[in-house]
Amino acid sequence: MTQQQDRTAALVLEKASVAYGHVPVLEELHGTVHSGEAVALIGPNGAGKSTLIKAVLGLVPTVRGRIEVLGVTPAQARRDVAYVPQADTLDPDFPVSVEQVVMMGRYRKIGWLRRPSATDRALAAEALERVGLSDRARNRFGTLSGGQRQRVLLARAIAAQPRLLLLDEPFNGVDAVSQHALLEAIAQLKQQGAAVVVSTHDLAIAHLACDEVCLLNRHQFGFGPTDEILTPERLRATYGGHALELRGDRVIVTQT
Amino acid sequence: MSLFEPFHLPFMARALIELVILGVLAGTVGVLVLLRRLAFVSDTLTHTVFPGVVIGYLMAGQDGVFWGALAAGALTAVLLTVLAHRRRVSEDAALAMVLTSLFAVGVVLVSRRTAFTSDLTQFLFGRILTVTQEQLVQTAVVTVLVAGLLAVLRRQLMLRTFDPEGAAASGIRVGLLDLVMNVAVALVVVAAVQAVGTILVIALLIVPAAAARALSDRLVFIVPLACLIGALGGWLGLAASYEASVYHGLRLASGGTVVLVLVVLYGVAALAGAVRRRVGLGRARLSTPELEMTR
Repeated sequence: MTQQQDRTAALVLEKASVAYGHVPVLEELHGTVHSGEAVALIGPNGAGKSTLIKAVLGLVPTVRGRIEVLGVTPAQARRDVAYVPQADTLDPDFPVSVEQVVMMGRYRKIGWLRRPSATDRALAAEALERVGLSDRARNRFGTLSGGQRQRVLLARAIAAQPRLLLLDEPFNGVDAVSQHALLEAIAQLKQQGAAVVVSTHDLAIAHLACDEVCLLNRHQFGFGPTDEILTPERLRATYGGHALELRGDRVIVTQT
Repeated sequence: MSLFEPFHLPFMARALIELVILGVLAGTVGVLVLLRRLAFVSDTLTHTVFPGVVIGYLMAGQDGVFWGALAAGALTAVLLTVLAHRRRVSEDAALAMVLTSLFAVGVVLVSRRTAFTSDLTQFLFGRILTVTQEQLVQTAVVTVLVAGLLAVLRRQLMLRTFDPEGAAASGIRVGLLDLVMNVAVALVVVAAVQAVGTILVIALLIVPAAAARALSDRLVFIVPLACLIGALGGWLGLAASYEASVYHGLRLASGGTVVLVLVVLYGVAALAGAVRRRVGLGRARLSTPELEMTR
């Protein structure tokens, strides 16, 4: 893969509306994410950030408009798309080691029956190295801290060699060391030409890690370069007037 | 207590083989039940398979039991999968009502027979000592089938159990996989109905898996351990009930004794697990000052 960014569209939203059954969750989304770029999905709780990620994975139907992933439909693109769930949604008692979790990222390429090859093992080890957790490979996943678990899940995604990476609130409740490791790994993926979509509450992280921002609250309140979009006016519109002073206090703090 | 002598008797040998095969089958599936926290599925099945068994028995005698159980088990597996995907399982009251009514249907049907009590006991608690050659073959076939299915699907099952959303995102058809899983549990219940009855099968599913989980954090060990503990419980339980009945004039029901032995084995495993963790923690604590000294 060339380091030079070819402006290939990794994700195209074309007036896309997404719904669970008959209940519309997101309406009229419009924008493009190119290879090698990262976009932050920003909006209050219940704004539909996770739903958008699921729609890009083809797990929630697009009822109007179009979502195109890597030139094809979301379901067709799954092989080249990796998804990083929130670590705290996973059962910490599950008897699985860190290296096994990372190897799950290779399952699709290995197939469901063959044994992992030397290449698969090397890629998994390298992915774990990239998030700085090589020394924990043999530990049980649940014994790691929340931030470390999140890094392991990112390593799993890296091992899958995705062209589009989707992260759902990866920085929630994550310590500073892990946050740094996550940001480094994401930047490296971008450099290698992957497109990244990350949902977050944290505007500072959007500034730090993302080229573009998509402001969401059921509708789209802006999609474009981070500096242009993250204005107090747009944020107030997205979060609904004085909502800025409410629970989204991190929003205000990071705005100063 | 003699651990080998009773099994020179053909009916005891058949009972032993049946329980060892069931131990392996239930141990394997039980690990998945434990990890998916699906205990309620096996619970549900024991209620719904019972009327199936009764109807099968009334229609075709002893031979009908297996097929009645199979039909009821398969139907339950499908219904549970559909319900779970519509997120209706949380409606506990409705589910409990349906289950007890089905169970009552079984009781009512069986009560119309003259040999009411003996039949009821047989269906609920099984008759391990009258297991036939044919039943052994049925159990063995079910075991091979389920073990093959789980071996082929092991990675999907592991990913789905650990991370349902991640599994769906990677293109796994979660609904289909859940159906397969529920059918596997149903097959265990069906296979165990004649031997240990619809009630005690829960113990066969849950207890060995829980014991194995207490002993190890690694799936590669947990599954064989659960099989081993399941089979061991069958063996020791049978030997104990034989010993008590024959030499001490104390009639112990075999199925019940097997379950009690399993529970004892679980106790031992839980204790060993607790000790193991203590020792592990102790080691971790010990190693910290050492590390600091080397710095």
